[in-house]
Amino acid sequence: MSFLNNIATKSPWLFRINAGSCNGCDVELATTAFIPRFDVERLGCKYCGSPRHADIVLITGPLTLKIKDQVLKVWNEIPEPKVTVAVGICPISGGVFKGGHSIEGPIDRYLPVDVNVPGCPPRPQAIMEGILLAKEIWLKRIEEAERKGVRHVQIS
Amino acid sequence: MFKFLKVLVKNILQGPATEAFPLQPAKTPDRFRGRVTLNPDLCVGCGICSHVCSGDAIRIIPNEEKTGYHYTVWYNSCCLCGSCTYYCPTKAITMTNNWHNSHKQDDKFKMAEHHFIPYLKCDGCGAPIRLLPPHLATRIYAHSPVDIEKIIRLCPSCRQIATAERQGELNESNPE
Repeated sequence: MSFLNNIATKSPWLFRINAGSCNGCDVELATTAFIPRFDVERLGCKYCGSPRHADIVLITGPLTLKIKDQVLKVWNEIPEPKVTVAVGICPISGGVFKGGHSIEGPIDRYLPVDVNVPGCPPRPQAIMEGILLAKEIWLKRIEEAERKGVRHVQIS
Repeated sequence: MFKFLKVLVKNILQGPATEAFPLQPAKTPDRFRGRVTLNPDLCVGCGICSHVCSGDAIRIIPNEEKTGYHYTVWYNSCCLCGSCTYYCPTKAITMTNNWHNSHKQDDKFKMAEHHFIPYLKCDGCGAPIRLLPPHLATRIYAHSPVDIEKIIRLCPSCRQIATAERQGELNESNPE
């Protein structure tokens, strides 16, 4: 099992949640992974389709009223230890949508955010910096969990 | 038939398309719109930047004693549109090409630039003013014979009076 753990800690899997984003940051997230010039996958990161496989969750968008419950539901499905990264200024502060009638954000009212990547949208390289920061935090959390003897996968 | 060999050799010589970013600094264009920065010497506190700011990132608040104002830019709300640099009359606020903005949640509210900018006193009436930047004054008064050193230390209404006096003197000396 430790062999598997050693391999797994090299590559955190990413999951994207769109919390009412204008799609700009989502395009940058796709660019970060799929354009060979940036290529986040050489850092061992990979986008996955299911929240239950994810380690690092990237949230874009200001958290609109309509999508709030779904975002929280999906976020709760991601197993611990997870790291939440807010991409773009919208989830961090509300950005240009701040004070709108349908905006529930900033997102740290509802979720514990770990890393912020401001920008409108942020550069792919800036997103990669954020992912590297998140990876550091994630490795620390795994170590802590191992010390305490907690099982990694805990799906509620 | 051997066209592919040509492509192969070309690709080998070209090297990978991937940037070695986390290991080496990424290439950034000079005019890249990164975080904004303020030159407090040039700022006159007109407030057009906070008026046009689409992300509501700029805040200008005078202090209680009215001896100056606090100028704050919060990068976490700045959408990098560049409206502030476009509309700033003295070009005090500019954009750098620094995009290294990723930070941990603990530093969320430290991601800001803050300046306390003191007021000067008008030489005429003592009202709190900011100095008119000399490079702007030389442009405004390019065709009039005024002492720029003196006129930039006046508030707008005192400047108006000074202009009227100057005009009056001119009219008296040359009645036609």
